[in-house]
Amino acid sequence: MTTKPRLRETGAAAKRPISITAVVDCVGALASHSVHGHLYLYDTNKAGGSTGFGTEELRTKVRRGDQLLWNVLALECEAFVSIDDIVIDRDVIEPERKIYPGTDVAYWIGTVKKDDVQSVPYQIKFKVGTRTDPITTTLSPALFG
Amino acid sequence: MPQQLAVIVLVDVGNALESQTLNGNTYLFDNMKLQGSQNQGTGDLVTAINGSYWQDGSQASEQVLNWLPYSLGSIPPTVPRGYEAERARQTDEQALAELEDLAVKSSAAGVDAAAELNRIRQSAGRRVKTTRRTRGRLSGQKVLDVTGKVVSNGGTEAHSYPAPVITDIYGQAVDEKVIYPAEYGSPDLVTDGWYWSATVDTSRPGTYAYTMRIQLHRLVQQGGEPLWEPVNLTCESRIRVITEPKRNAFTKAGLGLLPIPPRPFS
Repeated sequence: MTTKPRLRETGAAAKRPISITAVVDCVGALASHSVHGHLYLYDTNKAGGSTGFGTEELRTKVRRGDQLLWNVLALECEAFVSIDDIVIDRDVIEPERKIYPGTDVAYWIGTVKKDDVQSVPYQIKFKVGTRTDPITTTLSPALFG
Repeated sequence: MPQQLAVIVLVDVGNALESQTLNGNTYLFDNMKLQGSQNQGTGDLVTAINGSYWQDGSQASEQVLNWLPYSLGSIPPTVPRGYEAERARQTDEQALAELEDLAVKSSAAGVDAAAELNRIRQSAGRRVKTTRRTRGRLSGQKVLDVTGKVVSNGGTEAHSYPAPVITDIYGQAVDEKVIYPAEYGSPDLVTDGWYWSATVDTSRPGTYAYTMRIQLHRLVQQGGEPLWEPVNLTCESRIRVITEPKRNAFTKAGLGLLPIPPRPFS
């Protein structure tokens, strides 16, 4: 009888960026010209202590050196939404717009520069549907250390 | 035309694999918030489904539910279909071009061919091993990280999890013949050609639970090769069938009952 090689889990020690995902109800946002009530924020650092999942005031727990990656999902797959800008204290993090290679789909990425940040609120500007002027968050998500 | 109701199942795959449960790691949404769905964006969504008749009481076509499973924190589903396969091809081509370049340069003094080869090998990544049990849409793909770059060493770099796959929908709502779910092939761009859908018998108002069996994939090493190992978990959700007639959900036409009365030409 042959023995099957043991499965060894990979990536356990790997440092994964903390992804912050905004889910936008585009139809609701376009109807009311606001993302208030039509935005749900999540991150992948629940185990690390982030709070406010599914709200507009997600609080992401961060440490110096953490890579943060923002992306966005539309609630309806036919609708278009993208992040136009992230307005945040540039002394803490400088998010940059990048593109998934070979596509025109963007994400924003940056590295936390400070330790023990108290609470750093920020705003996200979204491009929704065919509207040319972006819609900005009214309630603020935040980073904290 | 049936009314298409969508339920998005957003899974924090990393945490779900870590804690071996979808409870607390699954967030559900639908597009019926204005019809009365409750607990949007939580694990406790109750999807409101209006009756399949018009405002004058006459028979309308059925309500249809569609499920879309997404992975939180992975490459988003909006990248082109078959993105992993496309990236595998692109990076192979790039490696070939770099090898050609190296063949020309290697005769020159001061070129460390071994180091260059190693670098090309790193940037080309590795294809995932396929076994009979893991054959499917992940077969022969390369492992990508969350920014779309190929991962050259599955053991030391962070990778993007593939989207979760619904493999069954069952439970009270199915047993009591309120929903009739099945998996369908589709040219849809965001679900890799397959999706779960159900027609709803709206003649029996009430709240009914259903369970989704969801397959996640964990990257493991088998005999020194990376392999996506399937992990099957379940999560529950509910529908609430009500006796209200169908409502309009298209923009610029209000949220009135259907059908919208014809407007006189001005």
